[in-house]
Amino acid sequence: MKARDESGTGAGAGQEAADTAQAAEAGRKRADAAGALETLGRSSGPASLILSSLAGGPKHGYALTKDIESFAGVRLAPGTLYEALSRLESYGMIEAVESSDRRRPYRLTATGAAALSTYLESQRKVAEVGLSRLAGSWEMT
Amino acid sequence: MTEGQHPPQDGFGSEPAGGPEAARIRFLLLWYPRSWRVRYGEEFAELLTAELAELGPSRRRTANVAMTGLRARLAGAGLTSHPLDPEAAAGASLAAVATCGVAAVLAGGAMWAQLAVGLQWSVPHTRGIGQSMALMSGALLLLAVLTILAAVPVAWTAVAAAMRGRGRAFIAPALLIGAGLTVLVIGGHHFENGWPGTGGHLLAPQGGVPGGVAAFGWAATMWISSYWAHPAALGAFPAIQIAWMVLCPIAIGCMLAGSVQLLLRVRLSPRAFRYEMRLISLAWAGLAAFLSGALCWLLSADAAGSGTLFQVGAIDRASFAVLSIAVLGCAAAATQVRAAAILARSGGPIRSTDSEARAR
Repeated sequence: MKARDESGTGAGAGQEAADTAQAAEAGRKRADAAGALETLGRSSGPASLILSSLAGGPKHGYALTKDIESFAGVRLAPGTLYEALSRLESYGMIEAVESSDRRRPYRLTATGAAALSTYLESQRKVAEVGLSRLAGSWEMT
Repeated sequence: MTEGQHPPQDGFGSEPAGGPEAARIRFLLLWYPRSWRVRYGEEFAELLTAELAELGPSRRRTANVAMTGLRARLAGAGLTSHPLDPEAAAGASLAAVATCGVAAVLAGGAMWAQLAVGLQWSVPHTRGIGQSMALMSGALLLLAVLTILAAVPVAWTAVAAAMRGRGRAFIAPALLIGAGLTVLVIGGHHFENGWPGTGGHLLAPQGGVPGGVAAFGWAATMWISSYWAHPAALGAFPAIQIAWMVLCPIAIGCMLAGSVQLLLRVRLSPRAFRYEMRLISLAWAGLAAFLSGALCWLLSADAAGSGTLFQVGAIDRASFAVLSIAVLGCAAAATQVRAAAILARSGGPIRSTDSEARAR
């Protein structure tokens, strides 16, 4: 929200301070969101796939779908892909690249790279623990 | 899209449509709100074209697009979170609060008006009915006061914009609100003369409601009636009354449409927004009190087998269901107003091209 309250005076200073604190908290939450893809809710799964794909370079929607299908074996439906893309863009994790093509490419931002790194690290820990426990208790054929 | 180019306003893409595939894609895009189509429509259409060429039509894909499109519409209506444009999302959530509030007051007002009529003619057998009337009347009074208080900064912002020569966007909403209000007030006053409460027993309790207010409430909610399901009985009504039952919801619809347009177009200052958020919290308490009063009536009337004047009919149960859903919708939208306002203050993520298009 743009600050258009030109008539703002000291009368509401306490409230102003409270709101500033709230805004700062919201900013922190958004920064946290950048470090935790889980906060994207139902889009967190597709989001990690999209960010992983974009880590290899900018891609448009269809190229993303094909790339994700090739490395993850999952084909994201168009609606799901764009729902996640719009959320990632709104959180500043990806950005659209100027293009003369109607197929607009997207690229990873520094925020997105940090979020993906944090997410993949946590997933790696889970995978390592799971695999080591399986190796100790179960004989995998 | 290259710099200097602007997305088409309908978001369907810039090339002329042709063939069944293009028609299919245009149909699929319709699931999404206009603001989403303006931002993503063109590239999304390209993706759908490629998908159709590779895999052909698919019901699963259609269902996916429909579901995500509806979610985007809910977000656009301010009922779920979507930080595409916090400023626009805040306005949409405010409009959703207003819409749900009006739906709640209409549904609840019809129940309240029926009780008001009953109390003109009869003393209820149970205390619950009197208590529910008091609760509903108090809540309605609170909501009326809050509506007036909430309208002041919105109207002032619009007037101030008009004085700076930027009032064109507010002409249509103002006309809609003015026309709807005029029809409602004139028609309501005309038809309140035929109020069943008129001529009621002088000593009858009136539930603490002035007769004129109760009569106007009755006239304004006359169209919320089970008579629509009984055309033969409805046909016995005077033609002018049936015309009013058709015209009244149109007038209320005009007022609501104008108010929603106004809320979507006006850009409130942060201070005004905080003020509105406080009023919304109070309004939610008022709606909850109203809901409790309505529930009290439903339970008391059913339990005590009250007289015909206080009997609960199918239309009252339906009204109660609408009232409950509207109160829940109001709560969801109020949460989003707060979230969007805070997110916007923290330096919203991006501004949609729709906002920019509107600004132009």
